[in-house]
Amino acid sequence: MAKETSTAPTTTVNFITWIKDNLPVVIVTIFSIILFIMIGFEGGPPQLLNVIVTGCMWALLATGLALVFGVMNIPHFAHGESFMVGAYIAYFTFTPLNKIFLATGSKFLIYLGPFLAIIAAGLAGSVLGIIIEKLVFAPLRHRTKEGWIMNAFLLTVGMSFVLTNGTTLAMGPNFRGIPRYFDVPSVEIMGAFIAVDRIVAAIISLVTIGLLWFFLRWTKLGRAIRAVSQDETGAQLVGINLDFIQTFTFSLATGMAAISGASLLFMFQAYPTVGLTPLYFAWYVVMLVGLGNVAGAIVGGFLVALLQSGTQLFIGLSWQSVVPTAIMVLVLMLAPSGIFGSEVKGVQEQ
Amino acid sequence: MNSTPTIEAKGTIWQKFVSLLNKIGFSPLGFVLLIILALLPNFYPFSQEYIVRWMIMGAFLAAQSVAFDFTAGYINIVNFGFAALLGVGAYTSGILANTTPFLLYAPGLNPWLTIWLGALMAALVGFLLGILTLRLRGIFAAVMAWFVGIALMGLVNNLTDLTRGPLGMNPVKFIETPNNLPYFYIILSMMIVIYITLKLVVGSNIGLAFKAIGQNPDAARASGINPTKYLVFNFTLSAFFAGLLGGFYAHFFGSLTPSTLMHTSKTVEVLAIAYIGGRGSLWGGITIAFPFVFFIEFLRSNLSSLPGLHLVIYGVLMIMIMIYYPSGFSGFYYWAVVKIKGLLNKTK
Repeated sequence: MAKETSTAPTTTVNFITWIKDNLPVVIVTIFSIILFIMIGFEGGPPQLLNVIVTGCMWALLATGLALVFGVMNIPHFAHGESFMVGAYIAYFTFTPLNKIFLATGSKFLIYLGPFLAIIAAGLAGSVLGIIIEKLVFAPLRHRTKEGWIMNAFLLTVGMSFVLTNGTTLAMGPNFRGIPRYFDVPSVEIMGAFIAVDRIVAAIISLVTIGLLWFFLRWTKLGRAIRAVSQDETGAQLVGINLDFIQTFTFSLATGMAAISGASLLFMFQAYPTVGLTPLYFAWYVVMLVGLGNVAGAIVGGFLVALLQSGTQLFIGLSWQSVVPTAIMVLVLMLAPSGIFGSEVKGVQEQ
Repeated sequence: MNSTPTIEAKGTIWQKFVSLLNKIGFSPLGFVLLIILALLPNFYPFSQEYIVRWMIMGAFLAAQSVAFDFTAGYINIVNFGFAALLGVGAYTSGILANTTPFLLYAPGLNPWLTIWLGALMAALVGFLLGILTLRLRGIFAAVMAWFVGIALMGLVNNLTDLTRGPLGMNPVKFIETPNNLPYFYIILSMMIVIYITLKLVVGSNIGLAFKAIGQNPDAARASGINPTKYLVFNFTLSAFFAGLLGGFYAHFFGSLTPSTLMHTSKTVEVLAIAYIGGRGSLWGGITIAFPFVFFIEFLRSNLSSLPGLHLVIYGVLMIMIMIYYPSGFSGFYYWAVVKIKGLLNKTK
């Protein structure tokens, strides 16, 4: 009899303690499922597809942000400007290329154009990342590590200021956009029509995230990056070149943001402050899942997209910055280290 | 025999004067500069209307940087939603001055009264923000303030019945005058009052507690300082003055839109001034703001074909200061004073 009573309660007790330990995750999961069902009822498949596509975008942006924080401890405020640079590069590559390719009339070349533009944007973003890292962060890192996180944050704030206004100076405040990348009719999925561009953008972000995961997991360089994110001193002890790893990581993240800016050119036209909205949402994602949590950022991207969609659907388009922010304030208040509870190199202490 | 006491008396009067000045946060040099600044717009090259307007902008920016530095430089939390607090004060004051609450079509209250109500409203928001950031430090506190700022700006954008949203509203002006000079003296006196008040607070035991919390909250708690009380007090006072300045903005420019007042980039402008001036000095921002506004407005009016150049210079300067000279202008001043004193002692 004693045996019977002891087994049953322990499992329930275990379950309860598990829920207690993971309370934020449980609450967010339940909330998201409810929201997902509500959106499904109200908006139908088009809205759900929209959530998935938007989620891919935010995930790609947020992984870059999380990577930079995890490895270099930089809360990157100028991530949106990398997005903006990507959009500009894609515009200036795509429009002339498209003219030339249209003149040739070859279907293959016409469909190749957008991909070339996106790749060019990614490369340009990486180069920009290297320049910024060498010019701004390396000198500060060599001067002092004291109060690094806050100093780095304010530096990126200054950078964002310089890049935005520098672009205004060089390009003017004009909007530069394209109606679409692929001149083909929309595809019907589950009774909903969705533009090919959006599908391609979602696929590109998924592929990029997949490549990143593969790179971090299976290559030597990726292992080195993960080692640095876990313990800088230890990584140096086993002969990892810290400077190189940090420059590389920064360039990787900037390149990823540029890719997402380029692949979304049909939605976000290129203009100097285009990066602000994507930046806000990428920050919501990383604050939700915990700063520096790369794997969590992918999940978080979809959660934030869900929240954004729900706000648009049930409250109104103009409230889409207010409601998610209010919820993020709640998250910050109740679980400052995010719902997955990441602790990155003693961030709380700084 | 007879002459020594008078010299001593003179010396004591001078010393008393200096110590009095020190108490309210001025060095003799700073006091003289302030008097020159106050008299400047009465003399020719500076008495032109557009230059007086620049000086108003300078004083406005300087006063903001003092209120901002009160949190950033002492308690070591960067209030990234500072501009939004300014906006709360400006909108509250503007709305109350245009229409009496609960009475449509009635004339509004006097702007001289409503700026204080706006300041109180901002103080209330600052109080809540202080409570929200209690558990947070460093980047988390900054992001929290930033998110609250975004939410407040979104709120102002969406409450179109009250604020007319992005269209902007037109609050009544303090004084109907084509002359800018009265406004200069209003903002200058606001700046001085803010500076002296905050300097007195910082010079007292409360300021010590702020610094202790800023350096190490746990150690401060261990030595008997209640961080909650001081942190919330700091935020509330800073927000109160931000709201007051917002009220000035509303009734000086006579037009308010959320994006020109509450945007994050406005916080960044103030932050740049405060950091270039030197963290934790309060006066650093004041000395930097005036030459800076002159320089920038000069650039803007002479190189109007290059929009945004002044903001690029802002950003680059801030980055350079942060990397290579983090103590800012006030740090340079203290360093120079020590050097000069050393040289004088050598010659003696």
